[in-house]
Amino acid sequence: MAPIVVTRGLHFAYGDIVALSGVDLEVPEGRIGLVGANGAGKTTLLRILLGILPAAQGRVEVLGNPVPERTLAVRSLVGYMPEGQCLPPDQTASDFLIYAAELGGLPLRAARQRASDVLTIVGLHEERFRPMGGFSTGMQQRAKLAQAIVHDPRLVMLDEPTAGLDPEGREEMLDLITRLDDFGINAIVSSHVLPDIERTCSWVVMLDGGKVLRSGPLTELSSAENVRLEVLDDHDRVAAALAAAGAEVTADGAGLLVALEGGDPFALVRDVLADTGAGIRRMGPRRTTLEDVYLAEGEGAGHA
Amino acid sequence: MPEGVVYDLGYRPHEGERLGRAGAVRALYRDGVRRVLGIRRKARRKILPGLLIGISVIPALFVVALDVFISDFGEIPSFFDHPDYFDFMGNFILIFCALAAGELLIPDRRYGTIAVYASRPLRAADYVGGRAAAMAAVVFGFVWLPHVVLLVGKAWTSSDGFGSYLTGHLDLVWQTAAATVVYLVIYAAPAFVVAVYSTRQALAMFLYLVAFYTVFATAHAVSEAGYPAAGLISLPDHAGYVKDWIMGSDTQEWLAEAAGLPAYGSLLLLAGLTVLAAWVVLRRYRSEL
Repeated sequence: MAPIVVTRGLHFAYGDIVALSGVDLEVPEGRIGLVGANGAGKTTLLRILLGILPAAQGRVEVLGNPVPERTLAVRSLVGYMPEGQCLPPDQTASDFLIYAAELGGLPLRAARQRASDVLTIVGLHEERFRPMGGFSTGMQQRAKLAQAIVHDPRLVMLDEPTAGLDPEGREEMLDLITRLDDFGINAIVSSHVLPDIERTCSWVVMLDGGKVLRSGPLTELSSAENVRLEVLDDHDRVAAALAAAGAEVTADGAGLLVALEGGDPFALVRDVLADTGAGIRRMGPRRTTLEDVYLAEGEGAGHA
Repeated sequence: MPEGVVYDLGYRPHEGERLGRAGAVRALYRDGVRRVLGIRRKARRKILPGLLIGISVIPALFVVALDVFISDFGEIPSFFDHPDYFDFMGNFILIFCALAAGELLIPDRRYGTIAVYASRPLRAADYVGGRAAAMAAVVFGFVWLPHVVLLVGKAWTSSDGFGSYLTGHLDLVWQTAAATVVYLVIYAAPAFVVAVYSTRQALAMFLYLVAFYTVFATAHAVSEAGYPAAGLISLPDHAGYVKDWIMGSDTQEWLAEAAGLPAYGSLLLLAGLTVLAAWVVLRRYRSEL
């Protein structure tokens, strides 16, 4: 499968402030998470991919098209859901989506059909004739997603899609993003909410201070299974025995986190508890989260 | 008994043709026309454009009605003809252009819709071109419609007969159309420039009108004080001067004329103004689209 985005030596600065520096990326089809703190360079990268901002240095390709040379070709194939507002409040959702589809190059009849279909998919069919100024935040986010996919793009870029949503609205939005795969639409989801990326994406690009910290499949970044253990007796005695057996043991609140390179940490914990005779209060798997990886990488890079 | 069934057809990809850049520009144009006229918007958005269009056409209807009445007495005097109608319409064209420019450009920036355009196959020039075409179409219609009413009405009341009057006055069609373009450019170009630097429609409209009338009043005051060259900054005087030149009329002495500028000089100035306004507006959007 050809990569959807390729960048080589990408550099961009706002005056003296470097936003992106030496960004090399090659991301495959699917749902891509673009994570990083505020100011990490996520939105700048998206704007360069769309051809809004010109890269100061480096090469950019989106869906096989070089940017900025073939910006219009790229824009015919992508959709964009901005972080801020983009909906005219005095227009109905239906009218705006028809217009957004026509702007994407669809003939009027197809635009009408697509607008109706997409409003149904995002759950706004009942509200389609209401001016969008009266929409709740959740409805507005769904309308923003709808305008991004109404012209049937091959790639959609979502900038902070869950911003401002309550838990229910967030769940709905994450479900919609997950369904984009079924529609044959690739997605780049930019967010600083790492659990959202874990929920929806298969590949993660981590940005920090304008540089790429990591880029790879989510399973590689967060699949290591550790054991979190709380014992009734002396923690230190159990920790020492685990360490002596070759485990990496760290304190985690009232418990211990046990990792074992190249082995099953559960089997080791079982054996050590049997040897020491310590009682268990609680034991379970502790998956390494994206947040752990991000913080660890950030510390390594000297930023977090 | 058959019952209604709801089918969930799911997501259906678009497999038909895509119109690309040209389709996007046409969509911008259509949306612009609808927006200025308040079509598919709340009723209050239709009031001001409707009122202005009414004001522009009613005098033409009145003149035609008067002609019908007077024609019963045999002779039709020539008063309030096409060149005078442009003079009468000046202030309304100004207000209409301020309204239209704000409506076309400001909400897109104020409500962030520019971000949507930035993800569609459009360049800054396409956006500005689509909006300018909408502005030109609506303002042209607004200014020219009363002349069409006047021409058709006079043909209808003419003792020569409808067809004969029209064929005898075909020049009026291109003359009024050309003069309409002059007024359109002189009033719309600065309105576009003000609108691209504002995020509030009412404020932009107010500033544009204040600036326009201030320059107009200053030009007249200084010119009458013995400095006729100052009259060159009065844009409505250039519009009227070129209009009279095109139509072969002389409705009043315009400041540009008093300053010794030939009519084609005003026309050149008008072209320069258009180029300058286009450059300013495009420059503003190049960083956003």
